[in-house]
Amino acid sequence: MRNLLIIVIVLCFCMPFFNVAADEGNDHSRYVQHVEQGFDFMFQGNNQKAISEFEAALVLESDHAEVLHYLGMAYTQEQFYNRAVESYQRSLTLMPDNIEALYSLGVVYFRLDKWADAVPVLQRVVELSPQHARGYEVLGKSFVKLRQYTAAVPNLTKALELKPQAAGTYYELGTAQLNLKEYTAAIENFKLALRYGPGRYAEPHYGLGTAYLRLGDREKSRAEMQIYQQLQKEYAEYERLTRLTRAEPNNLEAWTGLATLLMNQQNYGKAVQAFQRCIELAPNDANFHHGLSRAFMNLNYPKHAVQAVKRAVQLRPNESILYNTLGSAYAMQGDQKNALVAFQKAVALEGEQPYYHLNLSKLYQSLGNQKLAQEHYRAYEHFLAVQKSKQK
Amino acid sequence: MNTFWLFRNRNRNSPINIGIISERGFKPRQPWCFGNSPLSIMARYLAILLFGLALCVYVEAAEEMILIPAGTFTMGSDTRAADEKPKHKVYLDAYYIGKYEVTNAEYYEFWKQQTDLARMPENFTHLPQIGDWPARAEQFPNHPVVGVSWHDAKAYAAWRGMRLPTEAEWEKAARGYTDRVWPWGNAVEPYANTAAEDDGYQNRLAPVGSFPKGKSYYGVMDMAGNVWEWTADWYSDVYYAYSSQAAAKRPKMNPTGPEVGSWRVIRGGSWIDKIARCSTTFRFYFYPNLKTSFVGFRLAKTAEKTKK
Repeated sequence: MRNLLIIVIVLCFCMPFFNVAADEGNDHSRYVQHVEQGFDFMFQGNNQKAISEFEAALVLESDHAEVLHYLGMAYTQEQFYNRAVESYQRSLTLMPDNIEALYSLGVVYFRLDKWADAVPVLQRVVELSPQHARGYEVLGKSFVKLRQYTAAVPNLTKALELKPQAAGTYYELGTAQLNLKEYTAAIENFKLALRYGPGRYAEPHYGLGTAYLRLGDREKSRAEMQIYQQLQKEYAEYERLTRLTRAEPNNLEAWTGLATLLMNQQNYGKAVQAFQRCIELAPNDANFHHGLSRAFMNLNYPKHAVQAVKRAVQLRPNESILYNTLGSAYAMQGDQKNALVAFQKAVALEGEQPYYHLNLSKLYQSLGNQKLAQEHYRAYEHFLAVQKSKQK
Repeated sequence: MNTFWLFRNRNRNSPINIGIISERGFKPRQPWCFGNSPLSIMARYLAILLFGLALCVYVEAAEEMILIPAGTFTMGSDTRAADEKPKHKVYLDAYYIGKYEVTNAEYYEFWKQQTDLARMPENFTHLPQIGDWPARAEQFPNHPVVGVSWHDAKAYAAWRGMRLPTEAEWEKAARGYTDRVWPWGNAVEPYANTAAEDDGYQNRLAPVGSFPKGKSYYGVMDMAGNVWEWTADWYSDVYYAYSSQAAAKRPKMNPTGPEVGSWRVIRGGSWIDKIARCSTTFRFYFYPNLKTSFVGFRLAKTAEKTKK
């Protein structure tokens, strides 16, 4: 009886410790679960949910430098810059020479216009990792913002050595050189920014306009400034439509305008999304299916293009241009048999359209039928001449 | 009734002999190949040779390593992500790469010999389809091991007398010398365990080798999907640009990645990823300390050079 009593007393003392151990195990399992889900959301681009998961994980186990860095990255994506700074700083307390966490901190300082704070952090990045192109790039940009152009030039030059097709870096280097009155070098770099940059990159035109003006070439300067203004207008229209579609997600007119603008800007990836939204709003409008197929073709996705244009053909079975697009998509897919049928149908519906004959001619040529290829090429030339004379 | 039996014959010098136990007692029988005739001697040598060959084949099959011949291949892409640019030539010496990712059963053999708790794979209690360690080694012995850090993977490889593949080795094994978007070719097919619903393994890992149609040009399995795979290299987004500049005149030889970094390169995509991230060129990166349910690894080793 006495022994039993001792056992009970000992167990009473020990139980809380067992519970603590069990709780710790449960907490760790929950920590793992939150981190895993955080990554899953982050990879899907859902940063808000990733933030919730990482925050929940760090409540359970706070000393994980890596998770703190990922949390900071998710904050940065969502533009919660001050929270990102805090998260990166906590991460760096645990892992002080973590190159990527330092770089992330430098970027956020840059975005917060704290260029003077960004400089030492980014200098540490390139010191630890002498091949860190992004580090040199943001360091150079920070110096440009601080108007320390002489310091900016070697960093931006090093960034370009490591990453030779970075349009934004050429632009920043051009800007630094412009301010150092090195106009010829600046012009070269603005031109390289345009060569490697996205279509409709406006800012280098402004830089070119300014540099030509300083060199006394007013004509070239005016031409560049006009392009700059035109692109700025387009950009303003893009911004307006983007805001409008965000504010009014069911505004079909806004989505149509945005999709058309994006196609004109050759931004086919975003155009696909815009057309898909148009189709959600007006599923029976063949134009949107046709637009979607053209965007897919430009992205080199012929299979998707065929599907989209087939739907357009179902909706408007007598529209010649749809068959022409269908033929082109089939041809791109390597399906010459179906391409031939589609092009023939386009010609049958609208025989005076020169480019339908041209497509058919090219297809016959690749099929080895020189006679029909030549026949349709002559038809193309004939109808093209007719069209031009009509236009005159 | 005669019974064949292998037994120890204490009355003879030879410890083991083959004889016939019959109701009349033991009748020793000399097998023909144990004699001293030239034919017997030849037969014995032949037997030893055949045994050796069989052993070699067995060991090779057990390790399931695939020889990737020396040569140049195209690494990276000019039309996909920025960090895959530029497409450039890389020369690699011959090497072996694991036909499959390292499995739970294989890692278990390593783990049970470890005294270092750090080598313990992470538990995934919230994912019963993956489960806790070591129970999952028994429950899913042929699943790729996950919840292992880069350091665990490296330690395991060293224990097996091997190493992790470099990023270039990984890409060559997945892509071959043709320019395949996915290991099997350029068309989107359900030949890998991804986040897609048509691959038969929704929200779970697949046993290694479950997608024979998804094998690479060299016959390496599961190079797309199932689990991301640790490689030996540090990650740098401009490494290819840097590497290809250095190799402007001739292909880069056996590149081993940047000298420093924060993240290690992982390749191949996983069961939680879309197929686009499972391409042969897609580069991703992860902290080497992290242990997750979607990163595993496979082994590599350098093939011995043949003497000229």
